[in-house]
Amino acid sequence: MSFQKRLLSGEFVVLAEMNTPKGVDTSQLIQNARRIKGRVDAVIVPDMDDGVMRMSALAGAVLMHQQGMEALIHVYCRDRNRMALQADLLAAYALGVESLIVVSGEDICNGDHQEAKAVNDLDELGLFGALRCLEQGSDLGGSELTGAPVFSVGCAIPQCADEKSLECQLELAAKKVEAGAKFILSPPVFDIGRFQAFLSKAKGLKTPIISTVYLLKSVGAARYIATNEPEAGISEELIRRIRKASDRERECVRIAAETITALKGLCQGVRIITLGWEHKLPDVLEYAGL
Amino acid sequence: MITAERKSMEELINCVSPYRRLLLVGCNECVTVCSAGGRKEVALLSSALQLHFMKEGKPFEIKEITLERQCDPEYVEELVAHIDSADAVLSMACGCGVQEIARRFKEKPVMPAVNTKFMGASERQGVWAERCAGCGDCVLGLTGGVCPIARCSKQLMNGPCGGSTKGKCEVDPEIDCAWQLIWDRLKALGMTEKYEENMPAKDWRTGRGAGPRKIVREDLA
Ligand code: SF4
Ligand code: SF4
Repeated sequence: MSFQKRLLSGEFVVLAEMNTPKGVDTSQLIQNARRIKGRVDAVIVPDMDDGVMRMSALAGAVLMHQQGMEALIHVYCRDRNRMALQADLLAAYALGVESLIVVSGEDICNGDHQEAKAVNDLDELGLFGALRCLEQGSDLGGSELTGAPVFSVGCAIPQCADEKSLECQLELAAKKVEAGAKFILSPPVFDIGRFQAFLSKAKGLKTPIISTVYLLKSVGAARYIATNEPEAGISEELIRRIRKASDRERECVRIAAETITALKGLCQGVRIITLGWEHKLPDVLEYAGL
Repeated sequence: MITAERKSMEELINCVSPYRRLLLVGCNECVTVCSAGGRKEVALLSSALQLHFMKEGKPFEIKEITLERQCDPEYVEELVAHIDSADAVLSMACGCGVQEIARRFKEKPVMPAVNTKFMGASERQGVWAERCAGCGDCVLGLTGGVCPIARCSKQLMNGPCGGSTKGKCEVDPEIDCAWQLIWDRLKALGMTEKYEENMPAKDWRTGRGAGPRKIVREDLA
């Protein structure tokens, strides 16, 4: 069943994020994807995440299709103006991409091409507007299309450092839902209690929430997030658990899997982000009983 | 106002060194206010250049003049009396002033002594910050008086990006997140319905999207 259908039927969807290579050697990507084929509903291919130049998400999605796997891609406004965005959206649909995630795209100043000029012709709401326009059979310039795409589009709510910015982000998410967002990706979940509090605030959006689970890769990574984003809810106990484990990597996999298991009854799905450890995805799924 | 910062001494020495007689022209408007190219800065730069070339033993003459407004042809005309006795002009005005001199005196090399930065306001003594990008279609009335074009690093029109943290911008923790400012201000004003409205995709033609702009006022022209 496709991701869209599962989402509509209210089933728990499992998505795994996979980055495209920086270069043309796609063997690793394909190998990692094959190992989870049939075990996830779809792969999410980010597009130059963190401002790091790499093969486009669209190519990644097509590579996934060639493996018989569904793929969702990120779209955002940093690198393309409204013409390039529309052109790529039409291309994506023609090449079999049915679901998208509109994200905000990290600023270039943190990436690996810091001298580049960001585009930001449209913003996320403007991109939703462009999608709606295309779906209705015309482009933003008002010209008629020969064949219109139909997408299932989601958006994301970021980790918010305080109540004030969460309030602002929830209002913004409401605008995105109004503009056509069919599902919402949550900030990373490390603490179920906090996630439940988030869920009760996001309830008003009346839109399926897909949670996000990060695979922590080390004590250092956990400590880093705990220090820099205390709102993420990584506890000392969690860090201790990783530190004390005889096999730390396996413990990290277990923690991610346990989080996924705990999330099953709470929301409409999970997006698993391994931050470069895509080869660990089969283990995460295994431990989570997926 | 238009803000500017003086170029480094090294760069300035490099660009004026081919010339023996220099006309150094300041401006009494914005660059005076932001202490980049007013009468005082003209005097300081003039002494520094003279000292440098004197030490080098190179013959060098410099004439200083500060115009009321260098972007105004009426005042630029005052240079007629001095231009022939100079090999080149070094302007301490913003880019508009430099170009006005270049337009008026086509035969004379004109060089900028400052880097023109942005349209901004003074935040406190010695600190200026960008406020307006001259987009040509002002939305400040909808955004609580905080500009999302000039002050949001991504020029977002509908709300903050995912990188806004504790009121600071993802680009630099020294920069206030414009959208947090907008939200806070709309809330304080009891105007959050403005935020709930979906601002349409910006038409950039009123800004730089349709090439260099001009204002023609028939009633004044
Ligand atoms: S909305 Fe446009 S005109 Fe108004 S302050 Fe911002 S850039 Fe300037
Ligand atoms: S953090 Fe705020 S100011 Fe910076 S780009 Fe995002 S929304 Fe704009």
